[in-house]
Amino acid sequence: MTRTRIAAAFAAAALVALTGCGANAGTATTAGDDFPKKGKSIDLIVSFSSGGAVDTAARLVQPILEKELGTNVEVINKPGAGGQIGYTQLTSAKPDGYTIGATGSPSVVVSPLDPARGAKYTRASFQPLGRQVIDPAVIAVQPDSPYKSLKELLDAAKAQPKSMTASTTGLQTGEHFALAQIQETTGAEFAPVHFSEGASQATTAFLGKHVDILVANVSDVNDLTKQGKARVLGIMTAERSPSLPDVPTFKESGYDVEAGTARGYSAPAGLPDAVAKKLEAAIQKAIEDPAVVQKMNDLGLQTSYLSGGDYETFWAGQEEDFKKVLPLVQKKD
Amino acid sequence: MDILNDLLGGFAAAMTWQNLIFAFLGCLLGTIIGVLPGIGPVAGVALLIPLTMNLDATGAIIMLCAIFYGTAYGGTITSVLLNTPGEAASAITTIDGYAMTKIGRAGAALTIAAVGSFVGGTIATLGLVAAAKPLGELGLLVGPPEFFALMVVGISLLVALAGRSMVKALISGALGLLISMVGIDPVAGAPRFTFGMDRLLDGVSFVAVIVGVFGLSEILSYRKDPHAATVHAPGLRSLLPSRTEWRRSAPSMARGTGIGFGLGLIPGMTGSVSSLLAYGAEKKFSRHRNELGKGAVEGVAGPETANNAHANAALIPLFTLGIPASPTIAVLMGAFLQQGLTPGPTLFTENSEIAWAIIASLFIGNLLLLLLNVPLVGLWTSILRVPASILTALILLFMVIGAYTINFSVFDVFVMIGFGLLGLALRHLQIPLAPMVLTLVLGPLMERSLRESLEISQGDFGIFVNRPISMVLIGIGVLIIFSPLLKLRKPKALDEDPET
Repeated sequence: MTRTRIAAAFAAAALVALTGCGANAGTATTAGDDFPKKGKSIDLIVSFSSGGAVDTAARLVQPILEKELGTNVEVINKPGAGGQIGYTQLTSAKPDGYTIGATGSPSVVVSPLDPARGAKYTRASFQPLGRQVIDPAVIAVQPDSPYKSLKELLDAAKAQPKSMTASTTGLQTGEHFALAQIQETTGAEFAPVHFSEGASQATTAFLGKHVDILVANVSDVNDLTKQGKARVLGIMTAERSPSLPDVPTFKESGYDVEAGTARGYSAPAGLPDAVAKKLEAAIQKAIEDPAVVQKMNDLGLQTSYLSGGDYETFWAGQEEDFKKVLPLVQKKD
Repeated sequence: MDILNDLLGGFAAAMTWQNLIFAFLGCLLGTIIGVLPGIGPVAGVALLIPLTMNLDATGAIIMLCAIFYGTAYGGTITSVLLNTPGEAASAITTIDGYAMTKIGRAGAALTIAAVGSFVGGTIATLGLVAAAKPLGELGLLVGPPEFFALMVVGISLLVALAGRSMVKALISGALGLLISMVGIDPVAGAPRFTFGMDRLLDGVSFVAVIVGVFGLSEILSYRKDPHAATVHAPGLRSLLPSRTEWRRSAPSMARGTGIGFGLGLIPGMTGSVSSLLAYGAEKKFSRHRNELGKGAVEGVAGPETANNAHANAALIPLFTLGIPASPTIAVLMGAFLQQGLTPGPTLFTENSEIAWAIIASLFIGNLLLLLLNVPLVGLWTSILRVPASILTALILLFMVIGAYTINFSVFDVFVMIGFGLLGLALRHLQIPLAPMVLTLVLGPLMERSLRESLEISQGDFGIFVNRPISMVLIGIGVLIIFSPLLKLRKPKALDEDPET
């Protein structure tokens, strides 16, 4: 009897001490310690149309972010111009933590590099909060296509440049860069068709056989290959993807091409430290949540978390890489 | 027979009393949210998704579908009664819906809208049950060139919306196209006509433009004619449509169902295109086309039926291909994913019971909406008993709130006011407003599909006539454009009415 009572007293004391600590830590920081205010919702801007991989990932982490932050998180789609519309909105929002966004490369890295696009943001306009996945690029043909291997396809494209159309999700997107890298390394040239509304429009056009080649990410073709509606000939990573184990990498086929998309979450630059810390922690929790990881796996996406700082370093490295191939994807007309 | 068995199984699963309560609550909440200005189905469903998080998959999806129907209908209520569309898809309903309100037929308009929604939704869902797979494949036949050709047909309906002067209709249409250009170029990413304002990068908000051009400009024009503001609150007896109104709506509902269903199958088409084209079709083909714009029941029945047929048909690409065909469907898809269901053909093999329960619940949702809203028509129309001077002030307030809540930005309120003044100027010059709305909606879709097509053909315009479907569609468009010249219709109909 007494023993339980003592234990209870200890527990109570510990609880008081803990809450005390919490209160102290709270008052130590100046701005943003009351973030997020109750009832004030957080906008999560997705710069691509709903139903695509970026959108799906955002909608999966959203409920956990809500739980962690204790307020509503609303996913808002702002598609168009290869993500530029949404990114502009994200970076022009007040850095108070109530606006965050899904950021994906190459779109977010590339759009400020090309002055023709008139982007109002640079890398420094973003405060990376965490990377969620890397999604390698793949190249697929129609199931009834005569080309059974990557080599056959690329040789045909080399023999007759621009004779086959290939989908991208917009000018200077990951898919467009992948096509440029293929052209640079192998000499095979496809005619790009830019579906600026995103992956679901590109996939629809491919399914309707309005374009010959689907250039997409692993996550986009996962369900299509299961249904036998696309034949994936090559994946642009160092290693084969667990969700497409039968598809050879470009390297295995003798081409040194690596391309893909990396995705994470960022805020406009200039967040108060306390707010950034809370958001980063919540985002890490959401990204690493076992149920989310499992669902991402089901969609063909391998979770590969990086903290805000590491995501920023990764981002800077990508910027250097893309500067090199940029001339190939710039509009010449 | 298998399908029938599966469907009956679906009904058995969906008809638990819990699910019926979820469906009922969903319809009710959806309607209430939809009545709030500025909140359409996309925002409404997104807003209420958290409510469904703790339900089982069937219950959650049933409730969301019901919310979806409810918000769509709620938007219609404000369009008809207050001349303020709750969402883009019911914008065109304001023209004849509000005109009906002014002549005391508000109750009839709302009832017809509810019945039309039910008819369109139910027939589209029957299509989903009977032939989802081939219909889904049919939607895929529409590639960028065909999409563009469809837009040509749509734009050609401008002739039908023209009214007295073709030149004035073209001015209005060109104005709409110009406004639709504002914002970031969707292909090359360069800002157009934004005058350095970040707020304009997304273009001007469609709902704000509509509320301004139709709603506000109408109220501003009352200054000239104070009696115009008077609306007649319908008596109890006139709440229900008359026999003539029923008879006149039936063909409109049939046309609306066809248009909405067909366009709903095409990924990337939005519900507002369906309702606009349905209105255009009424203007062109209805027997009472001369009365449209002055409170003709066809102008409500056609678009409202098309709108709901579109919404339900858009589920077909989702179920058969896993492609979200419209923003609202994409929100629903997100809810599927959160429940651990991957929409697409695998849904029927892996979670067949849930899939059929959802389909059954679509029928239930459509029916509940009808049962819930027809008795409430009397309640909604009693708003009109408020004296005209106060009601006008209330409508103005509603418009400002509506414009504000689109993006929670005051900028949209100014857009609304600006376009209200533009609308007033256009009314003064007797330039029809409907062509502008048509091009405003179709313009961006047309531009996108044109540029995609030309990338596929690498600059060859022949792509639009070399492909059979696109060739036929463009032919139809050309025919509609020249039909007034060819006098394909009885010339007598043209003379009957000075408006035409």
